[in-house]
Amino acid sequence: MAGFLQQVVEGLGAGAIYASLALALVLIYQFTGIVNFAQGELAMFSTYIAWQCVAAGLPFWLALVLTLVVSFAGGMLIERVIIRPVEGAPELTLVIVTVGLFIFVNAAAGWIWTFLIKDFPNPFPGGVLEAGGIHVSISTLGVLGVVAVVMGLLYLLFRYTKIGLGMRAVATNPSSARLVGIRVGWMLALGWGLAATVGAVSGVLVAPVLFLEPNMMGGVLIYAFAAATLGGFDSPLGAVVGGLIVGVAETLAGAYIGVIGSDLKVGVPLVIIVVVLLLRPQGLFGRAVVERA
Amino acid sequence: MSETDSAQVKRAPAPPAAPRRPAPAGPLAGRWRWVAIALLLAAACYAPFQLVPFHVFQLTMVLVYAVALLGLNLLVGHAGQISLGHGAFFAVGAYTTAILLDHWDGMPYPVTLPLAAGVAFLLGLAFGVPAMRLRGLYLALVTLAMAIFLAPLLKRFEELTGGSMGLTLAKPAPPAWSGLAPDQWLYFLTLVVAVAAFLLAHSLLRSRVGRALHALRDNEIAAEVMGVRLSSYKTLAFAWSAMFAGAAGCVYTWVIGFVSPDSFTVNLSITMLAGLVVGGLGTLFGPLLGALFVMFVPSISQDINDAAPGVIFGLLIIAVMYVAPTGLAGLAERLIKKIPRKE
Amino acid sequence: MSTLEVEDLTAGYGDARVLHGIGLTVGEGEICAILGPNGAGKTTLLRALSGMIKARGRVRLGGTDLAGRSPDALARQGIAHVPEGRGTFMPLTVEENLRLGAFVRRGRDGVNADIERIHGYFPVLKDRMKQAAGSLSGGEQQMLAIGRALMSRPRLLLLDEPSLGLAPLVTRELFRIVQAINAEEQTTVVVVEQNAHLALGIAQQAHVLETGRIVLSGTAEQIRADEQVAQSYLGYRV
Repeated sequence: MAGFLQQVVEGLGAGAIYASLALALVLIYQFTGIVNFAQGELAMFSTYIAWQCVAAGLPFWLALVLTLVVSFAGGMLIERVIIRPVEGAPELTLVIVTVGLFIFVNAAAGWIWTFLIKDFPNPFPGGVLEAGGIHVSISTLGVLGVVAVVMGLLYLLFRYTKIGLGMRAVATNPSSARLVGIRVGWMLALGWGLAATVGAVSGVLVAPVLFLEPNMMGGVLIYAFAAATLGGFDSPLGAVVGGLIVGVAETLAGAYIGVIGSDLKVGVPLVIIVVVLLLRPQGLFGRAVVERA
Repeated sequence: MSETDSAQVKRAPAPPAAPRRPAPAGPLAGRWRWVAIALLLAAACYAPFQLVPFHVFQLTMVLVYAVALLGLNLLVGHAGQISLGHGAFFAVGAYTTAILLDHWDGMPYPVTLPLAAGVAFLLGLAFGVPAMRLRGLYLALVTLAMAIFLAPLLKRFEELTGGSMGLTLAKPAPPAWSGLAPDQWLYFLTLVVAVAAFLLAHSLLRSRVGRALHALRDNEIAAEVMGVRLSSYKTLAFAWSAMFAGAAGCVYTWVIGFVSPDSFTVNLSITMLAGLVVGGLGTLFGPLLGALFVMFVPSISQDINDAAPGVIFGLLIIAVMYVAPTGLAGLAERLIKKIPRKE
Repeated sequence: MSTLEVEDLTAGYGDARVLHGIGLTVGEGEICAILGPNGAGKTTLLRALSGMIKARGRVRLGGTDLAGRSPDALARQGIAHVPEGRGTFMPLTVEENLRLGAFVRRGRDGVNADIERIHGYFPVLKDRMKQAAGSLSGGEQQMLAIGRALMSRPRLLLLDEPSLGLAPLVTRELFRIVQAINAEEQTTVVVVEQNAHLALGIAQQAHVLETGRIVLSGTAEQIRADEQVAQSYLGYRV
């Protein structure tokens, strides 16, 4: 039993990281109807910025703040420059443009920082806490804590601020939002900025575990997709719950299903995506959308 | 009301990604198109006798990719469905061939082509059945997940696939009567497959099926209302395009003589899509132009920096989607169209 | 001084032109009814006025030229458009819908006071403040939509078919409230309506639209009195 709970705790730690990237995906999907295939790469690029700041001698937390600010501005810039011209285009076009962005950002990071693995400092102290035979590393707790804080801040933003209300209005009914005087274009850019910021958090959290290199987020992205699909692409809460479930499912499958083992764990998100799409395409928390031409 | 309203706002105003009309009355229509193809074919037969073996090999690889892109073009360019995992079907074709040749001594290699294509077709059909229920972007997700899952899967079944070491095989040797060098023989084998694939794709598109696929791409819901059996055509489009990729994978194994999981990462799938987009979605020559890109952009630009091909591809894809959704092939057609007017 | 002046307004969708040179003026604090058969361009006229579609011609509100501005800019200039289908933010609460109406305004106190004011007109909304707007009935949603529009303290209120899909009793109540709002706040109103009888009941002046042109203008009494008009455009016999 303790062994099982141990696996669950580890799954939650991994799941929190998936949840944060899934949150970023959902933020953009809500506002623009775009699934951003480049989200993981943007997070990776942000992480390199943090690494560069630390390498230049800044203290970690200052570097993080700087990174988040730069990521926010970068996300907004990308929306304005790259996404705006194809706004409202068919899905095929949007997917291809974000895939193009994926390839470009990945290569750009490789160009600037090379493809060699870099060590990324772990912001949390080492050490392990123990309770009832279950060991939890402080760094796992830290990851869970950070994701909880991000989730909480987003909740406050959307629930209690005027800008947040405006963003939700844009997500539900853009044309009506325009009629009440909201600058929809800026809200969409803000959505991308927020998503890039949240993604940056996930990149910084995952880097100490996976080592920093341009392809670092490729694997995480597919888990985040599974998390967002499971939770519902239009539900931020769903993204977080979905992320945690995917993390636990992956860890348990790796530990207890012999055929899967640690090497085939990446099949878990594939199975989750397919099953969810076939049984409940809107996800656990998503709203079903009536399709019209 | 506003629910559907917002959904409409997000999706309705639709400048086409792929060409709505394949412009059959274009400048390369009819006889001239076939003349162009005949000239191209003549050049393709002449080239290997003038080039050094390494360049012949490069051209061979262009043809291999062109076959795979023909399939991808059926799915993405003509049926409007997105696949980010076509490298997986390519890999399945390559591995089917490699395993057949590795496990059965004396297996005549031409036999591996229909088998590899068939396995990929069946797998495409199997994936196409759930895929037919998935709209655009979800299909992209599933195919991407599939491509990522393939490499660990190949590594796992070591006794069959050779694990991460892969399988090394003898390449088909030229028969004595041909008088060709090994590289030339491989080149002509590939050329024959490529021409056959081209003709097959062409006749598929000219048939009822092609029209159904176009209807599907332009408006799924309207197509269904008009009586196109959406699900079966979508599934079939997926299976056919997998079959072309499988055939290309088979020829790849002949030409390279080696397969390993690391040759078929997600990057392959994404590069294939990138090449096709740049070459021209839904166009006749798009797959060939795209294959040239897939082959030569990396080999030329890698001298600048390891990352240069990615930077170039990434920027090109985005630029193409903005200014020329039908890619270089579409651009070329437009240019040719302008010339006679000036005269 | 007249509030809204429209001259030679043309608009349409893509290549299809729907409005051909519309000209009208609406005086400050007046209610103006736009009548006409289906497809005459009534909704298109409102969309052109609120910037939802591109239009050519001159549109002045209180002397300021507004032609060619975006909907959000026009909202900030004091035009509140209750669109066809009401434009409700379904998943958001009633209160959030109302607050969105005041998005272009600054300061909290005024907004809270205005919510009280809206409750005065539409008491039914008061009990539903925390409910999702999508759970309201059609009539309540129409009230919410008008309340949302009023929250911006508009100089010009555009109403598109407020009676659509509502029971006759509810519609009558709604028009009575619109009249009260107009009387109390001096808000200028342009209302597009199929139900000519109701609209003429509250309007001072009216225009009849047919295939994108104004074919008849006059005071509400004149239009109502014109028997021929009544038969051919308004669909009832006097």
